[in-house]
Amino acid sequence: MILLYDGSFEGFLSLVYEVYYEKLQVNSIVKKMPETLLFERFHEIFTDEAKAGKVLDAITKHFTKEQQHTIFHIVLCDTRDYEMALLEYLRIGFKNKKELRNINNTNLFYIQNLEKELLCLVHKMYGFTRFEELEDGTLYAKIETKFNIVPFLGEHFCKRLGNIPFIIHDVKRALAFVKNNELREIRSIASFDAPIYSSEEEKFKALWKSFFKAAAVESRYNPKLQKSWVPLLYRTYMSEFMDDI
Amino acid sequence: MKLTTEDKLSLLAGSAKYDVSCSSSGSENNYKTGELGCAHTSGICHSFTSDGRCVSLLKVLLTNVCIYDCAYCINRVSNDTPRTAFTPRELADLTINFYKRNYIEGLFLSSGIIKNEDHTMSLLLQTLRILRHEYRFNGYIHVKLIPGASKELIEEATLLAHRVSSNIELPSSKSLALLAPDKTKEKLLSPLKHARDITLQRSAKPISMSTQMIIGATSESDFEILKLSSSLYEKALLKRVYYSAYIAVNNHKHLPVPELSKPPLLREHRLYQADWLLRFYGFSYDEILSENQNLDIQFDPKTFWALSNLHLFPIDVNHAPQEILVRIPGIGIRGALKILQARRFKKLCFEDLVNLKISLKKARYFIIAGKDFHRSSSLYTEKIKLALIHQGSNIIQPTLFDTSIYTGEL
Repeated sequence: MILLYDGSFEGFLSLVYEVYYEKLQVNSIVKKMPETLLFERFHEIFTDEAKAGKVLDAITKHFTKEQQHTIFHIVLCDTRDYEMALLEYLRIGFKNKKELRNINNTNLFYIQNLEKELLCLVHKMYGFTRFEELEDGTLYAKIETKFNIVPFLGEHFCKRLGNIPFIIHDVKRALAFVKNNELREIRSIASFDAPIYSSEEEKFKALWKSFFKAAAVESRYNPKLQKSWVPLLYRTYMSEFMDDI
Repeated sequence: MKLTTEDKLSLLAGSAKYDVSCSSSGSENNYKTGELGCAHTSGICHSFTSDGRCVSLLKVLLTNVCIYDCAYCINRVSNDTPRTAFTPRELADLTINFYKRNYIEGLFLSSGIIKNEDHTMSLLLQTLRILRHEYRFNGYIHVKLIPGASKELIEEATLLAHRVSSNIELPSSKSLALLAPDKTKEKLLSPLKHARDITLQRSAKPISMSTQMIIGATSESDFEILKLSSSLYEKALLKRVYYSAYIAVNNHKHLPVPELSKPPLLREHRLYQADWLLRFYGFSYDEILSENQNLDIQFDPKTFWALSNLHLFPIDVNHAPQEILVRIPGIGIRGALKILQARRFKKLCFEDLVNLKISLKKARYFIIAGKDFHRSSSLYTEKIKLALIHQGSNIIQPTLFDTSIYTGEL
């Protein structure tokens, strides 16, 4: 049976509920209705907060803190088909917790690697995110990333930037982490006006560029290596690469 | 001529770029609510230059004025280059503004010797004081100790910085006398010793220090170099030694001719690999090399070691403990951990290892996995060598840091 759900975390939890209580045999899980359907039965899951809440309670009871983190992390890998593997992860966890560490199981190994991939991306973006200063002193960063890592970046920069207000804008997902004094939240951004930058912004961008250029050793020139460390897809908003894109 | 900040930055970053230390890892998380900056334990690379090296710190000199005359150094007094200096305030402001925009993880501050040692050290410390006390900046700071600076100044540096260091420059006293007449081994090591002792009095752990030496400018063998590194690690003087392939910037009668010498990048790469074996894999320097020997260019040090110690192989991956598993060529710490985790559930065969994404390219000649072991070439050194060479993967592209940025450098 093919299951169709809306792609949200609550939606996925509702799906888990139905799989358990309706004893569904699942062959695949999709976020969008496929264009051709041949002989397959398919079943649409409607997001239901009560059902999702029950599953969430069960997860907090059954899984260790670390395993719960893994589950939430996997859901952030929104461009990947993680649903079948995560369903299997939950199934194994509810049945026999010890077995969750068995990386000989393809699904579990997949989950472990996917989480690693997410955390690698997070680590890269800790470094590759670039802020620009706005007129009122707010720092503003645009990002476009494979997975939804705004929550990680928000927390990281809350620690780093002291009392400076900042915004991290995920352009593709139309989300933003906003920090201002006590306020910390993730908002959806429907429309967006181009901000006004501080008068010093261009100066520091130029200084950074000249530092970046001066720091390279000519006799070790190796753009291939550079590209393997900073693939082009990360460079969109990095000021030091702006000219060569 | 009055230089702009941009000119100064280009000049002083350009002079500091030969210092290879970049890692900001291994520092404690020191987050304070409402204050600017926080160090990250594993270190974070913020960019990579066109030579493929990571940028995580604003790495600059306070000044490129220098009273010393070291043959290999671009800033030696006898070179006719434009000289300039930052004021401590200028440098602190630059650091803060770069940090806010997330260009950098912190500051790496070095300097030429202006007037005298203590005067230079005081200027460096003034920059650090502005950052730490005035801006309440908690981000990473690495400062070079000026050889010959007084004890009190070194003590203050250990209080203000996350990491202090002093470059050993060359692997022996003889070479120093030849190329860096103003420096002696004692003078270079004494600030490190002071810093270690002062910090040991304050806590159980000495401050983390690093050094670098130039490889290929003088005639020392890799054996001598690794022996030196390993004794520095043992005496807790250093957490990390950087090896820097000699790059010709000057002409000098005792230096290799610049036209002929390309930086020995592969040798540098092999030294980093060997250094890694010293620090994380439980090897000692005399296991890796014998007296006066150089590291093999064709094989990485672990493979070379395995080929010379075939009586210890093949190793059974289903039974060997972690410290033996990591000695298998092609299997690293992470691979060993995966094996340990997976074998609790079943006996592993070659296919299982492949499924765990462990590369068998090298490892298969050295292991037994369940019923599998590599029968096609019996355990004769030459045969395995040939087999490894014919895979065509034995020469690895030299990269400056052969490690993953995610493991974090210590």
